[in-house]
Amino acid sequence: MSTAVETRPALNYLNQETGIRSWLFTLDHKRIGLLYVASITFFFFIGSFYALLMRLSLLEPNGWLFGPGTYNKLFSMHGIIMVWFFLIPSIPTTLGNFFIPMMIGAKDVAFPKLNLLSWYIFMVGGLTTLFAMIHGGVDTGWTFYTPFSTSYSTTWVTTAALGIFIAGFGSILTGLNFIATIHRMRAPGMTWFRLPVFIWSQYATSIILVLATPVLAITLLMIGVERIFQVGIFDPALGGDPVLFQHMFWFYSHPAVYIMILPAMAVISEIIPTFSRKPLFGYEFVVYASMMIAALGFLVWGHHMFVAGQSLYSALTFSFLSYLVAVPSAIKVFNWSATMYKGSVSWDTPMLYAIGFIGLFTVGGMTGLFLAAMGIDVHVTDTYFVVAHFHYIMVGGAVMGYLGGVHYFWPKITGKMYPEGLAKLSALIVFLGFNLTFFPQFILGYMGMPRRYAAYAPEFHTLNVMSTAGASILGIGYLLPLAYFIWAWKYGADAGPNPWRATGLEWQTSSPPPRDNFEETPVVTRPAYDFGGMKEELHLG
Amino acid sequence: MTHAISRKTYLFTFLGLLGLTLSTTLLGFVDMGPFNMIAAVGIAACKACLIAAFFMHALIEAKVIRVVLTGGVIWFLILISFTLSDYISRSW
Amino acid sequence: MANPIALLLREQYSTPVQQRETSKLGMWIFIMTEIMLFGGLFLAFSVYRMSFPQAFVKGSADMSIVLGSINTAVLICSSFTMALAVYSAETGNRRMLTVFLIATMILGLVFLGIKFTEYYQHYLQHEAPAVWFDHTGPDSGHLEMFFVLYFLMTGLHAVHMLVGEGILTAMVIRNHRGSFSADYYTPVEISGLYWHFVDIIWVFLFAIFYVEGLHLHKL
Repeated sequence: MSTAVETRPALNYLNQETGIRSWLFTLDHKRIGLLYVASITFFFFIGSFYALLMRLSLLEPNGWLFGPGTYNKLFSMHGIIMVWFFLIPSIPTTLGNFFIPMMIGAKDVAFPKLNLLSWYIFMVGGLTTLFAMIHGGVDTGWTFYTPFSTSYSTTWVTTAALGIFIAGFGSILTGLNFIATIHRMRAPGMTWFRLPVFIWSQYATSIILVLATPVLAITLLMIGVERIFQVGIFDPALGGDPVLFQHMFWFYSHPAVYIMILPAMAVISEIIPTFSRKPLFGYEFVVYASMMIAALGFLVWGHHMFVAGQSLYSALTFSFLSYLVAVPSAIKVFNWSATMYKGSVSWDTPMLYAIGFIGLFTVGGMTGLFLAAMGIDVHVTDTYFVVAHFHYIMVGGAVMGYLGGVHYFWPKITGKMYPEGLAKLSALIVFLGFNLTFFPQFILGYMGMPRRYAAYAPEFHTLNVMSTAGASILGIGYLLPLAYFIWAWKYGADAGPNPWRATGLEWQTSSPPPRDNFEETPVVTRPAYDFGGMKEELHLG
Repeated sequence: MTHAISRKTYLFTFLGLLGLTLSTTLLGFVDMGPFNMIAAVGIAACKACLIAAFFMHALIEAKVIRVVLTGGVIWFLILISFTLSDYISRSW
Repeated sequence: MANPIALLLREQYSTPVQQRETSKLGMWIFIMTEIMLFGGLFLAFSVYRMSFPQAFVKGSADMSIVLGSINTAVLICSSFTMALAVYSAETGNRRMLTVFLIATMILGLVFLGIKFTEYYQHYLQHEAPAVWFDHTGPDSGHLEMFFVLYFLMTGLHAVHMLVGEGILTAMVIRNHRGSFSADYYTPVEISGLYWHFVDIIWVFLFAIFYVEGLHLHKL
């Protein structure tokens, strides 16, 4: 291997070309990744703002800030923005875009123009939806359930759905690009079972993206057709069946949860070996678990419809299959824990997020089992128990994974270090704030507080105040990284090519990397996470 | 350069497709109850296989491409069979 | 020309074979997404066909089997010419490539012409939901559902045909400029894949919409 560059290289992908046009017309996967970082950060703070308003209003049982109409719009817009314009694209389009080619030793993704096109499509979709929200909002919830969304809602449903429809094609093209890249662009010697687990998880994610997103697209198209032409596809007046909408919607939206969580698992699988100085325990099991999650994720959508009027036999089948998803998820949790066992663990910020992820994901996953059990699900359907459960997966899982990943890869992306002490503090704030926000909601839900209401019974007051307090803390935990990352971009200390002494190919090139990622195409001779081999090399060198 | 698929094969595929189209139309005139739909879709599936195998070269492409194609078909069947099984097994 | 192959190799690839195989894989994955896109509509059709068999057979009887069968044959011919176009590209016969591409496009336009004739006939028979739908009887709602699905599915297919016409036009222009040779014709090949796939969709649309009511047909 060529000698690693010790200091920040004079010419890298960030300064090789300058000016706004060099960013807007870039075909460099790394720059496109950064474009996505900027875009989804923007959407994330919009979505968070809606959440903040909701939590503020719920400080009092009567919902002192907003009436029911406004509140309906707030939770709808929070959900739509967060799901489609932050969580779905979050890790794949940013860290995935940046690191998939680097980890497999390629110069770029398979289709760079398509990659840039995906970003434009995403932005057009995002801005269309934003336009709908500014103009009057949507009140259907992020699920667009019929017949409310088709026959009754007078808000900007069609425009918002159009935005999501457009953004969906960005997702599809991203997934397509990644699959082709991982299949065809690997460096010599990079066999399938030498791939880092990050790549495997992104691969599983991309498969879900290309198989599930088109079904969402066609479902939204049908909603649009129904609203625009006043014909009924899901309209009971013509014999249409609203439950069919739910089938089609959840065929996408349940796998979509795995689109959010698998990339977070990808990040965690990189962080834990690096900061435990040990190869990932049971590499192949983790790989197969990712693929199994992707496949099984498509067979469980009916557990969202236990009370929607699907047949009892279907419900039983879906319930059983939902339990099965716990198996690969648990395999992953066990393997991460086993990787840390007897490793020399260091407690840097990415590792704090990774460990937080494992804990919160486990809580989210276990409560998922409660919800997969029909008896309990019927009791807690549409209560805050469900809200808490999926926030443990989406925020406690996906967002923690994203933040951990951004911290872990930040030195490679920018060549600068972030302030470690402050970062550790904010990781702690995020963890505490998160739990204070959402744990009370489990109790609220179990006590019977329904979701999506602007007001609630007085006996739920204390727990709601706790939740709002937690949300404020969580907000600070999100603003802090934003501030110190902006600071570190300019003033951070030089990171050097491999500050974490990690093994992946991406760490063997300079930070920030050159335009073509590597000075010469790397040849891979060792499996992933080969810390032993690395030690040997350091010793010899 | 040699060609994996000759013009003759294309011609036979083409004629086969026309023949199957004709048989679809003719079978439609016989009242077979629900089997009309089953027969029509079955013949359509045969035609799709012919097009994919010969016109689209699926038979001679890399393995991964056949995996992609079968994967797409299987996932469509998952969508349709799981949903229809709900409708079939409803007691209301 | 100095080295045409080197010029056509984009920088992220190491070999022309890698580039060609990657492009084809990309197109096949796209086709997989299209299967799922149309899959949602086929699902809706199946559910409602199962729920309202009588209305759907009745709707099917109102289809024009003559035009439908001719259209299927036209589209199969266009697939044949498309396959021959790819064959011509493979053998480096640029003249025949243009001929077959244009033949494919003309057949595609004939298909669209016949399709819109059918739409117009349905409109005249008051079978166009949202525009002019006028049927009475116990089944009228379900019959309308049949026609909603008919227009939606064939309409989406027609949109795909239009996109295909655009792609083929681009191929004709690029061939005219001399972009393709026996060494490099991947764009023609993957355009062909798209065209054949759109053809396959029609084969299924023909089967589900036109055939079932045929035995009730007045002809």
